[in-house]
Amino acid sequence: MMQDFETLLKGSAEAHGHLCPGQVIGVRMAMLGCELIGLDDPSSPSQIKRIIVYVEIDRCATDAISHVTGVKLGRRSLKFVDNGIMAATFVNLETSRAFRIHSTEESRDLAAEYAPHIKDKHLQQLEAYKIIPLEALFVVEEVKVDIPISDMPGPTQFKAVCGKCKTVVRDKKEIYKTGQILCRPCAFGTYYEPYVKG
Amino acid sequence: MLHYKRSPLPDYTPKKIKIEDAVGSTLAHDITEIRPGEYKGTSFRKGHKVDRKDLCHLMRLGKRHLYVLDLDKEQIHEDNAALQMATALAGPGITFDRHPREGKVQFNAAYDGLFKVNVKPLIELNLIQEFMCASIHNNTPVKKGQSLAGTRAIPLVIHRDTLNNALGVARTHYPVLSVKVFNPLKAKLIITGNEVYGGLIEDKFEAVVTEKVGVFGASLVETIILPDEKKMIAERIRSFLDDGTDLVITTGGMSVDPDDVTKLGIREAGIDQIYYGAGVLPGAMFLLAYKGNVPVVGIPACALYHKTTIFDLILPRLLAGEKPDNKDFARLAHGGLCLDCPTCSFPACSFGKT
Repeated sequence: MMQDFETLLKGSAEAHGHLCPGQVIGVRMAMLGCELIGLDDPSSPSQIKRIIVYVEIDRCATDAISHVTGVKLGRRSLKFVDNGIMAATFVNLETSRAFRIHSTEESRDLAAEYAPHIKDKHLQQLEAYKIIPLEALFVVEEVKVDIPISDMPGPTQFKAVCGKCKTVVRDKKEIYKTGQILCRPCAFGTYYEPYVKG
Repeated sequence: MLHYKRSPLPDYTPKKIKIEDAVGSTLAHDITEIRPGEYKGTSFRKGHKVDRKDLCHLMRLGKRHLYVLDLDKEQIHEDNAALQMATALAGPGITFDRHPREGKVQFNAAYDGLFKVNVKPLIELNLIQEFMCASIHNNTPVKKGQSLAGTRAIPLVIHRDTLNNALGVARTHYPVLSVKVFNPLKAKLIITGNEVYGGLIEDKFEAVVTEKVGVFGASLVETIILPDEKKMIAERIRSFLDDGTDLVITTGGMSVDPDDVTKLGIREAGIDQIYYGAGVLPGAMFLLAYKGNVPVVGIPACALYHKTTIFDLILPRLLAGEKPDNKDFARLAHGGLCLDCPTCSFPACSFGKT
């Protein structure tokens, strides 16, 4: 069975480094997501391989989602889609059912209504997000996610060698450019530049 | 002509067993459940391993016997075979779903680009009776996620040798299916014609070219209008080539009139290869030249009148880094007739589908 909200929030805050409104949102979102896809203890050995979560933002709530569900980037069960949106999609790999949960902007305005006695905005949000009803906090949509086989957890199945720098590229991330199979840095350029001393 | 020894039709029949003996066996087909007014769907998937707790459910569905798979090590289930085939067929830029649906694996584009299919091995694979793979046409520009092809094993169970034959064809000709990414080339345009240069008519080509290159992520960075003067055209092409332009496009002057000197200007610009005349209508007087790997394109004036021309067929290939030549121009003849429909539905039509 999944731990209760307070225990999960405490653990999440410890894992993340501090307690914040994002942790509350993330924990509640993850608990709802797991319930919707029919997993009551997602990080248990019997369920850990049944879940993938797509997060659409790399902020506090993402760590909370990871803590509650047990999904991890390194396990390939946590997918990051860089949309800058406070939303996540929870996928049950066994049933293929998936739900996208979006934390609404309106819920931020509700904080004052649900915790009027707290003046500090940060603390007000923190406490309010614990009690605002789920339907006011989130917009939930049942969705379908086609997960390519090359994005699945498990041993590496696909390898290619960059025709330019000879780097091995895993999981079908290679690019076919001007007749050559290339790694992404060779095809599109790097996000870094070589450090030149002096 | 391709020759392939046809393999014999498979003679596998699933084993029929009593429901009480089914625990631990693997279902040979989907089992559908219908609850009137409430539910209709698959309750047990093909390949499901029957558990003791499933027995009551199966009996409620009226099952007293089941077809189960009892495979030896030389027999491969269709889903497993389809996934192995998909892995061998999918080159760079191709992804596929982890679950075959009804034994079929669907391929999708991993990114925007030019879909390439190696037609000869594709046909060779389809000559193996137990396999099929169907694709959209070669050289089609595609968007990320777009459906491109599908493969499946046709019988429920495939012999390992047959699978290995098919895998051998796919691996020998790797990549059978692929997507080439478009290069964001920076193009320069030379519009030729005394009537435009003299201001008698307004140019319409720049807007056409800007839109067509932009669709694929390329851009038009400079446009110049020149008179029908061979020397001036040649000099300008040369200067564009010298300053590192990725793609030089000229418009007009491709026909046979005495004032149509653009093709002569291109010829005199110090290019390495030149191909003129294609099996395509509209676009018979299309010209394509190269200086090294840099293309110089000559678009005939028909592109002002017709919405879709040979330029729409060749441009994606140039942006994908290919160097089409006169043989490609000739191959385009089959499917090279635009029907000039009142409402153009290109690319969803036969134009350019060779």
